[in-house]
Amino acid sequence: MNGPLIVQSDKTLLLEVDHELADACRRAIAPFAELERAPEHIHTYRVTPLGLWNARAAGHDAEQVVDALVQFSRYPVPHALLVDIAETMSRYGRLSLTKHPAHGLVLTTTDRPVLEEILRSKKVQPLVGARIDPDSVVVHPSERGQIKQTLLKLGWPAEDLAGYVDGEAHPIELREDGWALRPYQQQAVEGFWHGGSGVVVLPCGAGKTLVGAGAMAQAKATTLILVTNTVSARQWKHELVKRTSLTADEIGEYSGTRKEIRPVTIATYQVLTTKRKGVYPHLELFDSRDWGLIVYDEVHLLPAPVFKFTADLQARRRLGLTATLVREDGRESDVFSLIGPKRFDAPWKEIEAQGYIAPADCVEVRVNLTESERLTYAMAETEEKYRYCATTASKQSVTEALVRRHQGEQTLVIGQYIDQLDELGEHLDAPVIKGETTNAQREKLFDAFREGKISVLVVSKVANFSIDLPEATVAIQVSGTFGSRQEEAQRLGRVLRPKADGHEARFYSVVARDTIDQDFAAHRQRFLAEQGYAYRIVDSDELLAADEEW
Amino acid sequence: MTDTPRTLAEELRTRTDSGLAGLLRARPDLLSPVPGDVTQLATRAGTRASVVRAVERLDRFALQTAEALAVAPDPCPYETLGGLMGGDAGDGTVAAELPRAVAALRAQALVWGPDDRLRLVRTARELLTPSATHPSPTGLGPTVAEAAAGMSPGRLQEILATAGLPATHDPVTAVAALTGLFCDRARMAALLDAAPAESVAVLDKLLWGPPYGGVTDRPAGHLQWLLDRGLLLPAGGRNVVLPREAALHLRAGRAHRTPEPLPPVLSPVTERDPQLVDNAAASQAFTALATVEELLKEWDLGGPAVLRAGGMSVRDLKRTATALDTTEQLAAFWLELAYGAGLIASDGEADERYAATPAAEDWLQLPDHERWAVIAGAWLSATRTPGLVGTADAKGRALAALGPNLDRSPAPEVRHRALALLASLPPGTSVPPAAVLARLRWERPLRGAAAGAHEAGPAAPGSAAPGSPAPVEPDLRSRLAQWTLDEAELLGVTGRGALAGHARALLDTEPSATPAERTAAVSRAAALLAPLLPEPLDHVLLQADLTAVAPGPLRRPLAEALDVLADVESKGGATVYRFTPASVRRALDAGRSAAELQEFLGAHSRTPVPQPLAYLIDDVARRHGQLRIGAAAAYLRCDDDALLSEILADRRSAALRLRRLAPTVLAAQTAPDQLLDGLRAMGYAPAAESATGDVLIARTDSYRTAPRTAPTPVPEGPPAPDDTLLAAAVRAIRAGDLAATAERKPVHAPAPAPGALPRTTSAETLATMQAAVLTSSALWIGYVNADGAASQRVIAPVRVEGGFVTAYDHTSDEVRTYPLHRITGVAELADDAV
Repeated sequence: MNGPLIVQSDKTLLLEVDHELADACRRAIAPFAELERAPEHIHTYRVTPLGLWNARAAGHDAEQVVDALVQFSRYPVPHALLVDIAETMSRYGRLSLTKHPAHGLVLTTTDRPVLEEILRSKKVQPLVGARIDPDSVVVHPSERGQIKQTLLKLGWPAEDLAGYVDGEAHPIELREDGWALRPYQQQAVEGFWHGGSGVVVLPCGAGKTLVGAGAMAQAKATTLILVTNTVSARQWKHELVKRTSLTADEIGEYSGTRKEIRPVTIATYQVLTTKRKGVYPHLELFDSRDWGLIVYDEVHLLPAPVFKFTADLQARRRLGLTATLVREDGRESDVFSLIGPKRFDAPWKEIEAQGYIAPADCVEVRVNLTESERLTYAMAETEEKYRYCATTASKQSVTEALVRRHQGEQTLVIGQYIDQLDELGEHLDAPVIKGETTNAQREKLFDAFREGKISVLVVSKVANFSIDLPEATVAIQVSGTFGSRQEEAQRLGRVLRPKADGHEARFYSVVARDTIDQDFAAHRQRFLAEQGYAYRIVDSDELLAADEEW
Repeated sequence: MTDTPRTLAEELRTRTDSGLAGLLRARPDLLSPVPGDVTQLATRAGTRASVVRAVERLDRFALQTAEALAVAPDPCPYETLGGLMGGDAGDGTVAAELPRAVAALRAQALVWGPDDRLRLVRTARELLTPSATHPSPTGLGPTVAEAAAGMSPGRLQEILATAGLPATHDPVTAVAALTGLFCDRARMAALLDAAPAESVAVLDKLLWGPPYGGVTDRPAGHLQWLLDRGLLLPAGGRNVVLPREAALHLRAGRAHRTPEPLPPVLSPVTERDPQLVDNAAASQAFTALATVEELLKEWDLGGPAVLRAGGMSVRDLKRTATALDTTEQLAAFWLELAYGAGLIASDGEADERYAATPAAEDWLQLPDHERWAVIAGAWLSATRTPGLVGTADAKGRALAALGPNLDRSPAPEVRHRALALLASLPPGTSVPPAAVLARLRWERPLRGAAAGAHEAGPAAPGSAAPGSPAPVEPDLRSRLAQWTLDEAELLGVTGRGALAGHARALLDTEPSATPAERTAAVSRAAALLAPLLPEPLDHVLLQADLTAVAPGPLRRPLAEALDVLADVESKGGATVYRFTPASVRRALDAGRSAAELQEFLGAHSRTPVPQPLAYLIDDVARRHGQLRIGAAAAYLRCDDDALLSEILADRRSAALRLRRLAPTVLAAQTAPDQLLDGLRAMGYAPAAESATGDVLIARTDSYRTAPRTAPTPVPEGPPAPDDTLLAAAVRAIRAGDLAATAERKPVHAPAPAPGALPRTTSAETLATMQAAVLTSSALWIGYVNADGAASQRVIAPVRVEGGFVTAYDHTSDEVRTYPLHRITGVAELADDAV
């Protein structure tokens, strides 16, 4: 009765990390509980139906879950909770989708009343065909995704055992010369391949692209890769050429500017979701080849229409890659039913401890505004307030001081407001990358930055996603999209790539004191604090004073 | 005195003192008042109320035995009773248990007499004997003699002849002959062998009761066959009944289809580690304490209003349930628990509300196990039943939480019994609730048998007979037992369905124990529980994400301070607190300073205070109290601050209670006009100022009300009729006139002045009305309504009764009822009023 785990009445689990059994406990509960917060001492996990079904999909049963809770719990676990867990888990797998030699796709049950119940649902009726026998019913093959989504909503998730088409074969090998898949990447690839389809959760900088490449090498088939934007697409291509037997000619880019369809095609979400005259003209891409694997990068950003297309692709293997399963729009259940259950997951701190991502020192720099700035701020219109306090001259000068302080280190200055960035760029004599910068220009600048030709780069939020800047060791955030936690995580991700010299990365947030800037910063930082990245707060005056002494 | 007592009194007289004491213990109602002598005791033991009470407390087998005695001849030899209970073939278990049942009945003075002449007390016999309106649980009908009482002698002789019996001289011997035939197994078997299959099917249907059936005037052949042989006897109207003797033959002598000599076993049992059970129960006990505490905290500033009829409104219950994060049903339980323990009560003010009592304050200060003792003790002896909250009573009124009519007197006894049953199992062993309920039903089959037995009072015990329609609701006793099991789990008396070790101490006492003994037992249980309850902690873990985690229950002062300083984010074994600017401000508002808070956190945190938290507190503290608010009745401003200093220095200004806010502004606690007067008295020349700063010219304002509308006059007479009304009236008059044919002449119709109300004496009014009803003629009446407004109407009376006249009102074109006393007078319509 002195375990590391405390079970709360709201189905959260508190894990005391300094406890000697903490590691064993973490391993025991990770399959079914989602890590919600990971600050220094106590980690919070949450038990949700999706998490329990994820565990069922991964082959765990209720007995194991209950055992894990009872074994590690410090206090007796409420009986009602255990009953509820067993009941929820038993819902998964009573229905399964299988391939019938004569009837094609069928939905079968091991529990007849459940089938009767769901067949009475108006939402299921249009998706199914004739009843074959009391325990099975034909499902229209085109509705495979739809029915999985619907059944999940009804609380009876179906196990998809109908298998996959192999797709058009295409030789792909990993070229492991001088590098190898890291153990966790290997595990992720195996976990995915074994499960058929699903999502791999890895922190930014942990090498998700390589997991994708590994999966492709397993599938050895034509592959469609969906990414967030063109820069990201180029990086995928670059990485695939470098790490696999694929040549540049075998990889096509399907974006706003180019429409190549090759054995491996990388398409952006944006081009897929472009709508013209009420139709999606680029949908044919999905049918243009007999794809054997579809990779979704940044699943947590997957736009809603892509879900709709994905529902029709259930016969193909699907791999989702993401840093977090949390979606701000709450469509986690669609990810579960349409792409698949979580197949692998490793928290940031663990991978950091293994040395694969750099540790980071997060500092919030509190800037005291001048009297006149405070007055102007106080009188500003509500909608202008954030913009004003985020772009004040005091912040600018502190930012410049920070850049000077880290002279010689690869530094990124990230912000939201273009005029602020332009001004900064001018003062720091650094190039600015923003929305209007052409892709060619962007890549040129990124390359220069990578090679160390330029050491300071000012970027707007266009660089939020999927750019790869391996040598950035300092990031300075001057303004953001209000309180977006996701953005904060992505920005931190910029400096988490392991550094050649093992140097600790620094992440500064420059925040104006006593303004809503500070409130938004607090909201954003909560996510990081929950991931175990504690912020230090430093007064700008102290910082500047220290600089002068320096 | 003879060897065989002739009455119950005689038999009681022969009993030993301990025997009598046993009787009085079993039936304590006989004791109040103490009977003067044995005859009086016997008389009282035979009263209906007392017998009903005693019968209700019999277990199922004793009751079955009593029921069998009620259908047996009186007096009844033991062997006959044995036959009725065990059947012709005999039943070992029944035979073994029967002496116990008879002894129990004897001890209760429900049965008396020697074994060869067992007699059921007459009142009990009346209660249990079947009759047409009151079927017996045995499903047996009346005897041949009873059923044949009203039959014609001729018909009886016909039956005898058909049944193959010789004719007799009179009905009595005929009945005896028929009874003899039915009781003789061999002859009866021969008779039935000849029965058509359909007839046998009918008998099978009536066999286990109810023994009554209906026949048509021309019964079908197979029914006629039975009727002709007396196997069905008429039972009034078209009903027929299967006589008792015949049924007993068919049942092979058994009075009950399934005699239940032994109590149902408690099974299937689930065995768990007793340690596990105790821990689970202790954790639940702790949760119970936390929940009650939370309720008290929720109501700290006053609870919801008391409904006029008593209790809490449904909305307030819902709100409380939300606050406690539970269901309404459970919220009602916690509320009743706190109420029963005297922790919450109505405040008794004019605007009545619920609130915590002073006892709650004391309770909160007690150590955990003693707090548990208070609520567990209150629960054990409570008669209030939260399970009823939300249902309706017999009159359809909803039963409110904390409201009236929730008391159910059997509750403590059932509770004690249910727990005692669990205690009879080995430690750590549980059985499904259904097994406990079945056992309890066996022990007291009649007690609270009907769902609403409480309302029904001492109901006739037969009312729950198998023959009557089965009650949809489970009986009160079962529901009480079910609630007991549920509540015991919530309170930590049981864990995972098994009685916890500490709870066994609760049951050391008899249900009849004195309050002091009960308190002692509860204290013993609490002492056993104490080491199992988690030890309160004096520290929390502070984290950089601005949360604090208390990895267990906290010491009270710490918990109270944290509750103010942070918001609770999740509860359970641990508590997660989150610090927000609002929560920190709350602590500052409560009078703590930033330094104190920092020190407090530093002292109670196992880990260093994270920097963001320290910053949060300092940031909030820096801004806290920057703006100051106070109340002033008036202000005094002056550009010359020397003048203000002079006023402040003047001792005469003390009464004005001035305070300097700024060099040129004073705040006063006196009203502006008093301030003006006071300063003028001191020799200054102040001027009043408006809200916008203009100087107000001193002028007394006239006092006015807010805009008001003039009152509308209440007209004395009817409003002037408009054209539509007039047209309708004329039409009515003509119609009425047409009806009142010309034959009728006004007897005494001194036509009133046009427009004036007719005036007649009430006798005349009544007579005229009644006449008008008979002739269906229309009348002209003067009528004063409830507001005193007079009107004239033309009506055609339909009915005059009870001081009211119901009439068709031609004026308003509808049927209305008028109180006669409001009718000032009546006049027939003039013939020429057409």
